Amino acid sequence: MEQDAQLVLQCLQGDGSAWEELVRRHTRRIFNICYRFTGNRTEAEDLTQDVFLRVYRTLNSYRSAYGGFATWMTSVTRNLLIDHYRRTKRDRMTDSLDDAMPVVENKESVARRPDEQALMGELSGQVQSALTRLSPELREAVILRDLQQLEYIEIQRVLAVPEGTVKSRINRGRIELARILQQMGVRPS
Amino acid sequence: MTWTCQQTEARLSDYLDGLLDATEQSAFNQHVNTCAACAPLVASVAHTLGGLYALEQLDAPPQLETAILRATLGAVPRKRNLWTWLDALQSPRFIYSAVSAVATMVLLLTATGFNWRRPKLADLAPATIYRNADSKIHLVYARSTKFVSDLRVVMEIQSRINETEQNPAMREDTTPQSSPKKEPGQTDNSNPSSPKQQNRADEIGKNLRVLACEFPILSGAVVDGVDRRVP
Repeated sequence: MEQDAQLVLQCLQGDGSAWEELVRRHTRRIFNICYRFTGNRTEAEDLTQDVFLRVYRTLNSYRSAYGGFATWMTSVTRNLLIDHYRRTKRDRMTDSLDDAMPVVENKESVARRPDEQALMGELSGQVQSALTRLSPELREAVILRDLQQLEYIEIQRVLAVPEGTVKSRINRGRIELARILQQMGVRPS
Repeated sequence: MTWTCQQTEARLSDYLDGLLDATEQSAFNQHVNTCAACAPLVASVAHTLGGLYALEQLDAPPQLETAILRATLGAVPRKRNLWTWLDALQSPRFIYSAVSAVATMVLLLTATGFNWRRPKLADLAPATIYRNADSKIHLVYARSTKFVSDLRVVMEIQSRINETEQNPAMREDTTPQSSPKKEPGQTDNSNPSSPKQQNRADEIGKNLRVLACEFPILSGAVVDGVDRRVP
């Protein structure tokens, strides 16, 4: 983390190679958060690029006392993901009408994301699919805790909510996810 | 300690993360083992957690970093340091170019009369280079002209010899065994009444001797054969 703070300082002094290093260090992590939240590689790529663009423009507002560059960057990512979720809500509502025809929807979903289906195993694919059906508040909490392995205090800083709320969201998110998976026919062996 | 279904659901994550104390843990286990509603809930959430942990980190697309740098810094900067310059010098393209440039310089300097054994700075003066180049060019031109002229003579003689060898009748016609017109003391088959042919043969013979000196390889084959026929 100290190295990140040093790189940020160098960036602010106009060192392009320090920014390159920061991009190299954090691209994969941010891309994974975006992908797990949206479930779509193209959207995840665009959102990752937007995150770095915003971080680059607001780099002088970062303070190391905030809790580490990675946490600050995750917070920026989370805000952009929520913005994106609200922006695309209308599209999802149209999609939800298609859910009334489950057979057609299943065929479309398989045809829509063949690369994702090939990349993930059966359970992993089902978990990813169930994640995108969680409410955004529960989804982000589960992703940060169970996929990004963040501590409660870090999640608290990223989401800007009290610790009790963080714990409650994580717990409800896991239970809700298990319920969705059961509805999808996934049961523990 | 009594434990309810609401408590099980509320503290499920604490149980799975190992955050319950011993008393709570014991009460939790006791309730779940006897509750038909909570047991499947705990099993399914534990299974879900296993699925979440099994999700692997995906690799970011390779072009993503470049796209980010282009969007933020503009053109992607290329690192230029001593090692990258040295790497560039080791490329086959640079080596071929350097070798061909040096070879061209050596050829040009040699052609302009530069003495490699005793190099002098004065030899590199433009006036000296021009003078040497001019003299070399004239010399090469004169030698080429002479060579072409000599070659033409040789080809002419060669073609005549071939004609004679391939057509014996013609040879007999031109060299009868007993000529009634042969003068006493005349030993060759030439016709003295044809001075033009005689002069031509004399000229060719002279040229051949000159050529034999310049091209020793011809002296054993062609010139000897001609000498036997041409007086």
